[in-house]
Amino acid sequence: METHPARQAAARGPMGVVRFLALVLLGALVGGVAAVLAAGFVNAVLWLNEVLLISPRSRMMFDRPDLLLIATVAVPALGGLTVGLLHRAIAERRAHTPADVIAAVQTRRGRLPARAGSLSALSALVSLGAGASVGQYGPLVHLGASLGSLGARLLRLGRSEDNITIACGVAAAIATAFNAPLAGIVFAHEVVLRHYALRAFAPIAAAAIVGYVIATSVLERGALFHVADTAVPQPWEFALFLAIGGLGALVAGAYMRAILTVGRLAARLPLAPSLRPAAAGAVLGVTALWVPDILGIGQETLRFATIAGAYGSGELVVVLVLKIAATALCLGMGFSGGVFSPALVIGTLFGALCGSLVGELGALSADTFVYYAVCGMVAVTAPVIGAPLTSLLIVFELTGSYALTTAALASVTLASPIAAQLFGRSLFDIQLQARGLDLSAGRGRAVLQGMPVGEHLSRDGVTLAPGVAVENAVAQLGRAGHGEAYLVDSAGRYRGCVTLADLEAARLAGDRATVGEVATTERPVLTPDSSLWDAMASLEGVTGEALPVVDAADGETFLGVVFEARIARAYLAHSDELRREEHGTG
Amino acid sequence: MAPARRHRGGLGALLLGLSLTLNPGLAPAADSEESAEALTVLSWGGAYERAQREAWFDPFTAETGIPIEAARYDGGLAGLRDAVASGEVPWDVIDMTRSDAMAACAEGLLEPLSPNLLAPAPDGTPPERDFLPDSFGRCAITHTLFATVVAYRRDAFPGQRPTAIGDLFDTQRFPGPRALQRTPAVNLEWGLLAYRVPREELYGLLSTRRGLALALDSLERLDTIRWWEGGEQPVEWLLEGEVVMASGYNGRFFDAMVHRDAPIEILWDGQVQEHETWVIPRGARHPEAARDFIRFTTTTERLAELARRIPYGPARRSATRQVTTHPETGQDMRLHLPTHPLNAENAIVKDEAWYARTQERISDYFRDWLAAHADE
Repeated sequence: METHPARQAAARGPMGVVRFLALVLLGALVGGVAAVLAAGFVNAVLWLNEVLLISPRSRMMFDRPDLLLIATVAVPALGGLTVGLLHRAIAERRAHTPADVIAAVQTRRGRLPARAGSLSALSALVSLGAGASVGQYGPLVHLGASLGSLGARLLRLGRSEDNITIACGVAAAIATAFNAPLAGIVFAHEVVLRHYALRAFAPIAAAAIVGYVIATSVLERGALFHVADTAVPQPWEFALFLAIGGLGALVAGAYMRAILTVGRLAARLPLAPSLRPAAAGAVLGVTALWVPDILGIGQETLRFATIAGAYGSGELVVVLVLKIAATALCLGMGFSGGVFSPALVIGTLFGALCGSLVGELGALSADTFVYYAVCGMVAVTAPVIGAPLTSLLIVFELTGSYALTTAALASVTLASPIAAQLFGRSLFDIQLQARGLDLSAGRGRAVLQGMPVGEHLSRDGVTLAPGVAVENAVAQLGRAGHGEAYLVDSAGRYRGCVTLADLEAARLAGDRATVGEVATTERPVLTPDSSLWDAMASLEGVTGEALPVVDAADGETFLGVVFEARIARAYLAHSDELRREEHGTG
Repeated sequence: MAPARRHRGGLGALLLGLSLTLNPGLAPAADSEESAEALTVLSWGGAYERAQREAWFDPFTAETGIPIEAARYDGGLAGLRDAVASGEVPWDVIDMTRSDAMAACAEGLLEPLSPNLLAPAPDGTPPERDFLPDSFGRCAITHTLFATVVAYRRDAFPGQRPTAIGDLFDTQRFPGPRALQRTPAVNLEWGLLAYRVPREELYGLLSTRRGLALALDSLERLDTIRWWEGGEQPVEWLLEGEVVMASGYNGRFFDAMVHRDAPIEILWDGQVQEHETWVIPRGARHPEAARDFIRFTTTTERLAELARRIPYGPARRSATRQVTTHPETGQDMRLHLPTHPLNAENAIVKDEAWYARTQERISDYFRDWLAAHADE
């Protein structure tokens, strides 16, 4: 955690190149393993959906209607029960998500726990396999990140490298899952790292490329969208795409609010947390008997929504609302999974709705319908994950269509800023804020918020019993060379603080005999887990040498002090490290 | 097989005595008594069997001394069921569609077949990478692929020609009556492909009410559909000008184009491929010779030779690359193969497992639709 100017100097020159290349190699390695795991995860979900009668193909091929009814309700319910039991083995009693990855990188804590990571991946696999309406990309991102962090830990690398390998795992997971290396690289920067540094870029790019190569040889799937080559939208339609962006921000907001609200309501349910996913699964299954479109990741629903005429406007509204409700129910009640794939489906349904409404006004040829679907999709997904550039790149890499990307750009131009103003930068940021980590002021603040003052605790401060005579106190302070003393009683409790100036004044006035009687200077008190950020804030109203630190449990047992100079030095050191990480070249 | 060929055609043949060059294949065959007994192959007769005899049966006899007797097969499993039940199985190898082979294998009518018996490609590529995906079943090995395609009259659409399967349903640009097979299979696939859905998702989407409805919507866009049942019918209708576009088997259309000079053209986009496989019935009398026969006929060279005579796609990629011209007409056969990369770009492989499990419901659904929309 300390600054090492010497190490920084050594990083230049030939040795620096070797170290840098080794980091790139590590990135590629992390990318390779993450991509294989991601591909395995995606294929395992597909397999489970076939076996557990979730996918339409398997449901069609199963010709016992009575058993199919039972399975439709039982599979998500039992899947939910398994998920609930798995989560009991995680300390937080919930699956870890990309929000945890963002927190670890933004506070430079790094060190994602491997056990919670693998349990979360497993519970996500069960959730997705059993047809819960959740996404698969979030779990993949977290899996890749945990793997990268594990790699850095095994090689005993520093936090900075830890953050880079986390980003490598994230980039590889996205590159593999979407078959889109550029989107993987940009996602790692835009959502996880939130800064751009050449030093991080090369390893991340290596990881994304390895992921992409593995994806193209292992996973064989159709692209997410298809576009008729000839159709190009009219110039005036771009105004509509902008409007879809604005409205899409509201849909994204409703979606995020719904997830958070169900989460809050679920906490008040008279139902053990480990049984909540099972209840959600049963409700989902019963609803799916009428509207099977809401079951699972929703690949078929997504596809139909890009086809003009596949849904009527009324049907689109019903499926849109039900899909939001189903996803909020599953995620809020504790299923493990991402928010991105459902957002893709919801956004595409919303875009299709806009397209069919415009079509009903008679102004639209069916050829440009897919533009509306994709604009809606980008307008909803970009605000939810806080990644406008990634969303655009996914469209571009999957379709290769410049016209479509431009339309999506028009849509996202309004969607992202409006949603950020109204709701927050992303669902992850909103969730982290609720957990006490505010990322809105950037990484510098997040890092300081994540640093406890405990490690800067000092016992060098002068402590006095309240009964010590003022004369003696002045003498003691003089000998120690300090301007302040902290009063600690015989039980070890903190009783206030006196400055040399107070003591001198009392001695001259001669009316008070012990330091206990001298007016105690009002001074904020810290606990060992107070953050450096809090300490800095407390110091603003204080002129003095140090802040006393007391035990968090009883709020009065004196532990030591933190000197103002140490706080300032730590702040400068962290700022310096951040600067080097974000602006250094290697 | 390679050394024997060297005897027959190489310089060594001239230098060795007359006795050896007369019938080089007899030498290994004489070693065992039973292999001289004829091997009975159940195949489909007609031009297909003639091509098989030239490309496969006669060369096999020349190589091993084992004569081949061909019996006529008309599809289905009834005959095989009876034969296996009676314990008297008259055939050693059967040329079966993959869907029948899957069903027969599940019923226990077939011997298991391991892909280990197959020969590598001439360049050493192992069979599992040389054969097209899903060529190996538990009891069946694919040797060729045939396709259901759309053919159209060259003179029907002056100035333009259909290029995508969606054009089958575009009566504005391509007006005129169509001929389609009176089955849900292939029609449903094309009906949904017209919306440009990716072929990997085709059967998943067809598994939903919405997907089926969309597929039939495409068919409803056609004013006049003439429904055919026998495979020769669409060719006749096209030749007579009764219809301007028709679905049909690629081999029949090829035959009409090359041998009858018909003014028709094949639209390869969206072709639906099906596998033809070799199987060995349970209780066959010469299973060892049958395996040798399967190994011999599925070598790169033999598959390519068959495809020179009849436009069925070899199951091996290496064989597709080696196909040349028709031995008599000089026609470049590569252009007529369903599996040739130029033709196979947007090919659908029929999901026989899906049809096996849904046949009844899909047929009912299709029949109801036909009854409601019959315009003939």
